[in-house]
Amino acid sequence: MKNKQFVISVMSKDRPGIISDVTTVIYDLGGDLAGLNQSVLGGYFTMILMVEFPEGVTVETLMKTFSAIGTEPAIEAIIKEVDGVYMYDNRVLPGETYVVTAQGGNRKGLVKLLGDFFYARAINVLDLVTARRDELYTMIFQVDLSHIESMNKLRKELVLLAGKENLDVVLQHNDIYMATNEVGLPLDAIIGG
Amino acid sequence: MLRSDQIMATVEMVQKENLDVRTVTMGINLLDCRVGTVKGTCEKVEEKIARCAEKFVVKCDEVSVKYGVPVINKRISVTPAALVGSGFKTNDFVQLAKSLDTAAENVGVDILGGFTAHVEKGMTNSDRAFIGAIPKALALTKRVCASINVGSSHKGINMDAVAMIGNTIKLLAEATADSGGFGAAKFVVFCNQPGDNPFMAGAIHGVEEADVVLNVGVSGPGVIARSLERTINRRGRDNMKLDDIAEEIKQITFRVTRCGELIGRQVSKELGVEFGVVDLSLAPTPKIGDSVGEILQILGVDDVGAPGTTAIVALLNDAVKKGGIFASKAVGGLSGAFVPVMEDAVLAEAVAKGALTIEKLESLTCVCSVGLDMVPIPGDVDAATISAIIADEMAIGMINNKTTAARLIPVPGKKAGEIVNFGGLFGTSPIMEVRNVNKSARFIAWGGRIPAPIHSFKN
Repeated sequence: MKNKQFVISVMSKDRPGIISDVTTVIYDLGGDLAGLNQSVLGGYFTMILMVEFPEGVTVETLMKTFSAIGTEPAIEAIIKEVDGVYMYDNRVLPGETYVVTAQGGNRKGLVKLLGDFFYARAINVLDLVTARRDELYTMIFQVDLSHIESMNKLRKELVLLAGKENLDVVLQHNDIYMATNEVGLPLDAIIGG
Repeated sequence: MLRSDQIMATVEMVQKENLDVRTVTMGINLLDCRVGTVKGTCEKVEEKIARCAEKFVVKCDEVSVKYGVPVINKRISVTPAALVGSGFKTNDFVQLAKSLDTAAENVGVDILGGFTAHVEKGMTNSDRAFIGAIPKALALTKRVCASINVGSSHKGINMDAVAMIGNTIKLLAEATADSGGFGAAKFVVFCNQPGDNPFMAGAIHGVEEADVVLNVGVSGPGVIARSLERTINRRGRDNMKLDDIAEEIKQITFRVTRCGELIGRQVSKELGVEFGVVDLSLAPTPKIGDSVGEILQILGVDDVGAPGTTAIVALLNDAVKKGGIFASKAVGGLSGAFVPVMEDAVLAEAVAKGALTIEKLESLTCVCSVGLDMVPIPGDVDAATISAIIADEMAIGMINNKTTAARLIPVPGKKAGEIVNFGGLFGTSPIMEVRNVNKSARFIAWGGRIPAPIHSFKN
């Protein structure tokens, strides 16, 4: 019997028991959890899961089961069936993964500003974290720069952007963060030696 | 998953706290360059350096841009020239120095170390010819740095060599009098000189090393200073003890060292050259905010040289080693805090105030590596006094089984308190007072050797 892959995104006002509720649904339907990411932002719990179910399970079955969870506040779910094999454990960052940090006074449109900058240069954002502390807004983009031909040119463009928008922008190779924070990781492994 | 706290901490370290890789130094063995004639040997030396270091500077710059971490100095160290030119006459060694200078220029390197002899137990005629060549060799070249090892814990101190060196330093300063005796800033005297030190002026490629290796000197005084300030502000001075300070220094040194080694290993990989060691020394520059002296002030002495300074340097040096050694696969070189007077604005300021004296610097040598470094002294200090100061410094290294070094610069025509300025990384300082001059000639006149110390009963 052929199994099916699903992406499930759930959201709820944060409370004890959400993970228990969600995984109970998955377990009861014979699902095999391949991987998940979870975070809490502004008091709201979000989680995205990759799950493998037996052939008979459908999007409709899953939606119905999630809707039947009676615990309050309720859980909202978005479910999509996907093709292909989930490669969570084998995910390897591109060799030219960089981290762009940008800080500035909080105002509307800051994430869009950087998002547009990357989009204009066909730069894929691999991960993004933002935070506001008092009036300081911090954005941290992990980006793939494998296709960038001139790092000097990109650095100059970021400097121009930073000056124009009154932001403090720093571009740094991901390896620097790995080397300075991953105590158990040999440097030869980081640089691929 | 991105950890924003870790990333922002690294951004602070790299972008705002002067983190850089202070030097990447390529060590090159030149023993296979020796052929039957001086001219032939010099040609071989130039050829080998050109071959080994052709892409060195370019690769360092490329890696620097890739990682966004400046590599400040790209330098070369070579096999001690006294060995390469064994049997040469004085003028032959000068020719060899010129070839080293040319070779360094051709590959875009600003400083090359290794115009060096090791004479801790005795001197050959060739060694004497080499020492005789030092003043002219350094006066006629821009990039060549010289050093001499006159003592070791195993062999004792060669006082004949020490006596010669006092005079050599005087001649060297006078030969470069038009630049304030700058030649002496390119010459350092050692006890227990390491063969894998990447820092100038004492870098050499030891005979025990592989054919070509890359050694890295990490920096970080500015990073440590800013990190300590931030931590003290955050936690409050009243809530911290010295062991907390030591812990903070260890943590930041770990990060600094990992960063430096990452850069060094990447350059090694791209050049196909063996990676040697990371030297953990804290190497200041005259730039504001990049000072070892500033760390000492943050840790509690109002002026460097005040009582407590030695204890603080001991704490600093030890914490740096503990953090760095855990971070690195291979540590070597000097790996101790530098206190180069002219190269550290806060130290120079302490000299101007009269807080820092040569005697205090000498005491610091007991707890760090290079105690009398870039010390400008009056031009009229006699050679025997210079030799005696060096002998004191060497004795500390010999007895304590550690590297010590002296880089004294007699500034021709100038007296204590006057300013000497060499510019750039070599810095500026008031000339330091030398007390008790002309009182050591009878000691230096003995010559011979101070025997090696006993290596047991260490109480």
